[in-house]
Amino acid sequence: MRVAMIGWEFPPFASGGLGVHCLELTSRLCNMGIEVDFFMPKSGEGVKSSHPKLRIIEVAKAEISPYIFVSKSRRHSTYGENLMHAVEQYNKECAQALVQQAGEREYALIHAHDWLGVKAACEAGAKTKLPIVHTFHSTEFDRTSVPWDFLVDIERQGVQNANLLIAVSRRTKAQLMRLGADEGKIRVVYNGVDAQKFNKGNSGNAALERFRQGRKTVLFFGRLTEQKGPMQFLHAAKKVLHVMPDTLFLVAGKGDMLPLLINTAIELGIKDSVMFLGYVSEEDQKKIYSAADLYVMPSTSEPFGITALEAMSAGTPVIISRTSGVGETVKGALLVDFWDINGMAQKMLSVLKYPALGNSLSNAGKEDARKMSWEKTAQNTIEVYNEVLGRGKI
Amino acid sequence: MRLKRFSIFESHEKSVRERYFDNELNRQILEKVAKKCYLPTNALMLELLQKHPNMRVSYSLTGVFMEQCKMFAPYLLDSFAALAKTGRVEFLSETYYHSLSALFPSKDEFVEQVKLHQSEVEKLGGKPSVFRNTEAMFSNEIAYLAQRLGYDGILTEGIEHVLGWRSPNYLYSVKSCEGIKAMLRNYKLSDDIGYRFSAKWWSEYPLTADKYAKWLSSLEGDCVNVFMDYETFGEHHWEDTGIFEFLRCLPTEMGKHSNLEFVTPSMLVKSAGAVGEIDVPHVISWADMERDTSAWLGNEMQRECFGILQELEAPIKELKDEELLSAWRMLQNSDHLYYLCTKSLSDQDVHNYFSPYDSPFDAYVNFRNILEDLRGEVKARQKA
Repeated sequence: MRVAMIGWEFPPFASGGLGVHCLELTSRLCNMGIEVDFFMPKSGEGVKSSHPKLRIIEVAKAEISPYIFVSKSRRHSTYGENLMHAVEQYNKECAQALVQQAGEREYALIHAHDWLGVKAACEAGAKTKLPIVHTFHSTEFDRTSVPWDFLVDIERQGVQNANLLIAVSRRTKAQLMRLGADEGKIRVVYNGVDAQKFNKGNSGNAALERFRQGRKTVLFFGRLTEQKGPMQFLHAAKKVLHVMPDTLFLVAGKGDMLPLLINTAIELGIKDSVMFLGYVSEEDQKKIYSAADLYVMPSTSEPFGITALEAMSAGTPVIISRTSGVGETVKGALLVDFWDINGMAQKMLSVLKYPALGNSLSNAGKEDARKMSWEKTAQNTIEVYNEVLGRGKI
Repeated sequence: MRLKRFSIFESHEKSVRERYFDNELNRQILEKVAKKCYLPTNALMLELLQKHPNMRVSYSLTGVFMEQCKMFAPYLLDSFAALAKTGRVEFLSETYYHSLSALFPSKDEFVEQVKLHQSEVEKLGGKPSVFRNTEAMFSNEIAYLAQRLGYDGILTEGIEHVLGWRSPNYLYSVKSCEGIKAMLRNYKLSDDIGYRFSAKWWSEYPLTADKYAKWLSSLEGDCVNVFMDYETFGEHHWEDTGIFEFLRCLPTEMGKHSNLEFVTPSMLVKSAGAVGEIDVPHVISWADMERDTSAWLGNEMQRECFGILQELEAPIKELKDEELLSAWRMLQNSDHLYYLCTKSLSDQDVHNYFSPYDSPFDAYVNFRNILEDLRGEVKARQKA
């Protein structure tokens, strides 16, 4: 079986769950005998295939900025012009390239991801008559509290056009139904984690140690946008510091809320206990997971939340938002309501103060991470392929 | 006995009782279950006792339950007293606080709780002579303690690794105890009603009273101890499953078999002899697949909390502070530890079913912070 996959980002030049998912999924699919032609924008950075069965086809010459989500403040600048234009350009050229390849490559189906690949999937699907599987890693409803109609319309189109939909959680399934998707068309396939990658226990980061000075360390890791809840993290940090002044809070990731967050840390009087790490490379990511005593994911709306699984596979106790996909499926985590700052702080303090809790969460988290493999994600995805092919045969 | 969603950021102005226990929720739960289960079942039992002069039944009510009845539903306690008045209803003895105090190294607290319970039951019109420890936890040592307290019988679970090839349908003596007889719960026949009654997957579904009476009649042995949650009637199995009809018909159907008669535990231990001896050096119970104490003390979080409960005994008793003593005892309820259980797969489902928390970790956060608060309270009062 050969699949034409319409992607967007691909590690190492990725900033979201979509990129990680595509990398891990494609290599597992290839291991299971599926050939994948992966269409993506030309990055100029030379993305390499990791498997002989995986062919990377870079289309569109337009210089495209990394994966940026809508934020209220910048919707009409960066996002509105550059990115939208780039997406449009990419989709057009991607559809052309896919149709061109289709004759020779004999694809069984088209598999697209998120709103970024909707137009290309629609166009190529119409021309090639291939069945379409569309995965949604997030929807506009998750990314912002004020959804942009334009994007909602594209997502709606994607939802209507696909033969089968993959949602990364039951939570995302519900969002797709808000977009008008027929429930019978949606399959939930959870993301996974490469447990080997993060369980090395490598905490040898000298620079971090110097700053840490023996303090208990709590980690936030994600884009600094409203959706990820970094503001709630700081407010909870303030409460924790009131009880345990000897605690360090790491804020890893970049995003347009950074200046606001720095100001908030100053205003709350906790700047000496908060360290902003900015962009973190994959290597450093492993180090900070294992260096942290606790990982907190306070997202207001998290379709899945792969980072929680990564932290769990590193053996780090996690506190995750109840409004997250990963929270539906793991057992070894504490859940919080993102708006309940006292509750969040109390749980953070409990993990830091009581070793029995941290140990138990760590063990249960590792167990969860072992069960949530990308192999399982790939197997479930293949089942969806088989289903759509069974249906698609006329 | 539900705990408050305790907040470490809340002020300390309220009493510990108000800070730790959710009495409003406890009242709601008691009223709800009373309406669905306790009251209709008690009414039915009374009706059956009046109709069948040979019928007998026994109950195991915790002290905390009776205390909650007094506070929130005195009419419910009256209905138990009315049953006791028939003279054919017996109450078992147990720890007042449904605690694991039998496992404390010092047995003083256990003895106090059993005596407290005994006096409450006497007020209700009973005089227990058979002891049933929390969750049927049992060992040679616990049997010995019960014997020292004057009980003639003790009830526990009839499990294979204790009995071997032997049947639970007899009385047994207990190693290194003299005079106390062990009654063993027939878990299969108990679970047929308590657990499987409304299970459509069960090959014996639907269970009828005549079928069940035939099963009882065909058994070999001196007795069969059928013991289950009272919530079986109307709560675990709702009224529309026919559970009340089953109960209503059971005495009539049993009456059709000449080899069956109702006895109370005290009648049984007086009339039947022990046919052999059981030896239980390690504590058993009726919980989970393991039938040991692992449902309450199986993991690090549980053992830590249990350790703190034990550690607080001496300082709290020294303070002679009724409020702290009662809060500490309420916190000994085995459920608080049960919710922290992290066993996986099938058993976890049972734990989840009964738990008001998201997860065992969430339960630990709440319980542990309450224990820490109590610890702080003890220290503060020691200084005062």
